[in-house]
Amino acid sequence: MAYEMIVLTNMLIAILFAQSLNLITGFCGQVSLGHAAFLGIGAYTSAMLTKSGLPLVATFIPAMVIAGTIGLFVGAASLRVRHDFLAITTMGVSFLFTGIIRKQDMLGGEMGIAGIPSPEGGRVGLLLMALCLTILFIIVMIYIKRSWMGYVFDSIAEDEDTASIIGIDVRRFKLFAFILGTAGAGLAGALYAHQVRFIGPDSFGFVESVTVLSMVIVGGIGSIWGVTIAAALLSVMPQFFQVIDDYKLLVYGMLLFLAMRFLPEGLGGLTKTFRKDRGQT
Amino acid sequence: MLKTLQASVMALLISLAASIGIANADTIKIGFNVPLTGFAAADGQSALHGAELAVEQVNANGGVNGDALELVVYDDQASPKESAPLAIKMITQDEVVAGVSGSYSGSTRAAATIFAENNVPYISAYAIHPDITRAGEYVFRTSFMGEVQGRAGAKLIGEMLGAKRVTMITLNNDFGISLANGFKEQTDNFGIEVISEYEYSIKDREFGAIVSKIKSDNPDAIYASGYFFTAGPLVSQLRAAGIDQPVIGQEGYDSQKFIEIAGPASEGVMITTSLDRDSSDPMTQAFIEGFSNKAGYPADMVAASAHTAILVLADALARSGSLDKASLRDAIAATDLKASTGQISFNALGEVKKDVQIQIVRDGNWHHHSVISDPDLLAPPSE
Amino acid sequence: MLAIEILIQGLIQGSIYALIALGLTLVYGLLRILHVAHASLFTLGGYLGVLITNATGSLFLALLLAMIIVGFVGMASYRILYYPILSRPPLIALIASIGIFIASEEVFRIIFGPFSISYISPPLQNQIDVFSGIMLSEARIMVVLLAFILLLGMNWLARQTRLGIATRASVVDPDMAMSSGVNVETIRYSIFFIGSAFAAAAGVMVSLLNNLVEPTMGAVPSYKALAIIVLGGLGSVRGALIASLMLGVIESFGTIYFGNLLDRDSLAFAFLILVLMIRPKGIFTKG
Repeated sequence: MAYEMIVLTNMLIAILFAQSLNLITGFCGQVSLGHAAFLGIGAYTSAMLTKSGLPLVATFIPAMVIAGTIGLFVGAASLRVRHDFLAITTMGVSFLFTGIIRKQDMLGGEMGIAGIPSPEGGRVGLLLMALCLTILFIIVMIYIKRSWMGYVFDSIAEDEDTASIIGIDVRRFKLFAFILGTAGAGLAGALYAHQVRFIGPDSFGFVESVTVLSMVIVGGIGSIWGVTIAAALLSVMPQFFQVIDDYKLLVYGMLLFLAMRFLPEGLGGLTKTFRKDRGQT
Repeated sequence: MLKTLQASVMALLISLAASIGIANADTIKIGFNVPLTGFAAADGQSALHGAELAVEQVNANGGVNGDALELVVYDDQASPKESAPLAIKMITQDEVVAGVSGSYSGSTRAAATIFAENNVPYISAYAIHPDITRAGEYVFRTSFMGEVQGRAGAKLIGEMLGAKRVTMITLNNDFGISLANGFKEQTDNFGIEVISEYEYSIKDREFGAIVSKIKSDNPDAIYASGYFFTAGPLVSQLRAAGIDQPVIGQEGYDSQKFIEIAGPASEGVMITTSLDRDSSDPMTQAFIEGFSNKAGYPADMVAASAHTAILVLADALARSGSLDKASLRDAIAATDLKASTGQISFNALGEVKKDVQIQIVRDGNWHHHSVISDPDLLAPPSE
Repeated sequence: MLAIEILIQGLIQGSIYALIALGLTLVYGLLRILHVAHASLFTLGGYLGVLITNATGSLFLALLLAMIIVGFVGMASYRILYYPILSRPPLIALIASIGIFIASEEVFRIIFGPFSISYISPPLQNQIDVFSGIMLSEARIMVVLLAFILLLGMNWLARQTRLGIATRASVVDPDMAMSSGVNVETIRYSIFFIGSAFAAAAGVMVSLLNNLVEPTMGAVPSYKALAIIVLGGLGSVRGALIASLMLGVIESFGTIYFGNLLDRDSLAFAFLILVLMIRPKGIFTKG
């Protein structure tokens, strides 16, 4: 049971993390190649706090606030650039983040932070917390998507210029999405830190950012269910692929390529086609 | 390529034969997490060969009290995120009696927490992070901590070589930083003045700018931390720029690959390590020979460390005489064993106490230079 | 004196960046795709360089063959990788490209083994006194010369040949170029050939400087080249060249004087972010 539980928790954290990016990329069309930096900010915040004696639950808000605040600055700065430039700017932010962490002795520097306390309620507690927070975040996303804001976001993602012509304050909405998305990543980070209980600069590098972006794209940008399934599958893959051992990453890479080649709208697109087919018959 | 293929086919046949031959006896499962894919795959492969060799040797000698050892191998990609679930899997599903890490610091530290919590012994073969053994009393380490090797490096440079003005080139990761800390801690004792220090990242292979600067610094000696794939290019670029002062490295250099990459520039480079290639000890000789037969390339530090860790475990299993984890832990703690990397015993924290070997490159091979056996200088932290 | 030496080292590094970034910026100019898998071709070039040199003893032959073979692999990568998904948003191609890059690192590891491979007798290691005591190995001088010659040749192609003119026209306005009878497919194949061949040349040069090739050697170029072409104003060849050299020099001085504050990559990206905040479209784009 313990093994299934830890894998399941991993999966839930991955879903939360992927959804937080989905909020930015899917709702507003902003591509981020540096989202892992915000996972890291949340993880470091939460780990420092629980190590000083706070319970994990009490660190969720600070982790979100700090990640979201830094997200606000990065978002405001990245509004100056668009499209492909944005992707590279966020990538730069993530490199800068790990670069700075490496030199901060207060945050463990290269050594990282070890001995992060076990969360209240142990593995079961963490699993339940991850479950509740992930569901909560998805509910918020569905709510936004169905509210009037969802239509605004859609119009921005589809065509930013038209949206601004019809009087939408594109900047404000993009910034809102960025803050919410980065705060969500911070939350996932708090969980991550207490799942692995050792964090270091290398845990939040470029590879993690790429991994989470591929979850969103394989799932289908903007599709809540698609991204949930993609994050669940891709996050457990290295564990289940232990069988094919030597070819694990090869298969992972090929799957990304094949998914894009044959399922360019991701898993979310699959259900759409299915629905369309049904509509026609 | 062909050689590795041959080697792996051989390994497969041997392990098949072994498993058939002793099918009647019980097997004792040992968990082994190791990076087989991703950026750390090279070290992972050496570690795996070293561990497998140890298991084959033990089983060929009748196993542990008649039972054969079996390695349960998982690829952790050197990632803490992957190693934590694998540790749980080894403990709860595979029901291993103990685990050995053939992996890097991050993944080892994450797995160590879980082994410690479940009171299952865990031995880190070559991960150097200082916090690994602090995970709990069930966690041990058979390799030197970075600090210890750093201190040995200071003694080598300041006392044995008599060099006083030293330039440090520090690798920016837990390995390089803890080496640098140990080195700096001892500079005053050995009259060393660090005239400059440069840092580089594990991804760097190109040191043109640093080399130019060192040339103008003109130190007596260079203390450079790194692995063979960073130190190889570094040393060859230093020598190519006409810098011929002594270069002192550590166990990260300890591979034939270093000599292959740096070529003639590697001559005279000294390192602090734990494998003595000129050792007359039959155990070490059997390891060096057995490894190159099995793997198809010469033994390195990583392989020797994994080999040692498995032997320490096998020895403790034999002495404890049962699979009870608490008595196995106590048996490991009481280890006093001659292994391929020297005489092994542990302190209260589970850190190894052994001599530091100084090896030097002569005629394209690693050779014995000297031994530092100074229990005070080499004492690892005990809490 | 020291400053000049560090500057030269930076320019050498910058020349390598330039060779890699060129193909990337051309591909972006034509297809608006961030071609991450370009770095796999750099790695392939490095491996071919070492293996062919070790087999035949001729570095020149190795360089030539590596460029040609990798050039064709690059063309194939366009046909197999990008052609079927051209009509999709560029993000799709980006992820597909990342997938191929991850898979290719593993293919290198499985075929050539996880350990690095080195030259049996590394060529061009003699030291030459460039001027007043600055010693450089022949390999380092060769890097700069090769980059200079290849880029000059490129420039000639672009300005003097039909193919070059047609290419430049397609970058500026693809529809217009097509309606003037330019065969877009031919141009794309040629661009992939040239860009990939240049990446292979960079791979051979890096293998020579470091005397090793390893499966993960493409990791740094895979993202740093992206930073360079953004810095240069995406799609601009001249911009990418200047950005490459600038980044080489900044990293060179940075590792010496700021190395204790930030590592090389972070320095490069700190510079990138700074520039983008001042000039959101890169340094070398008009407007």
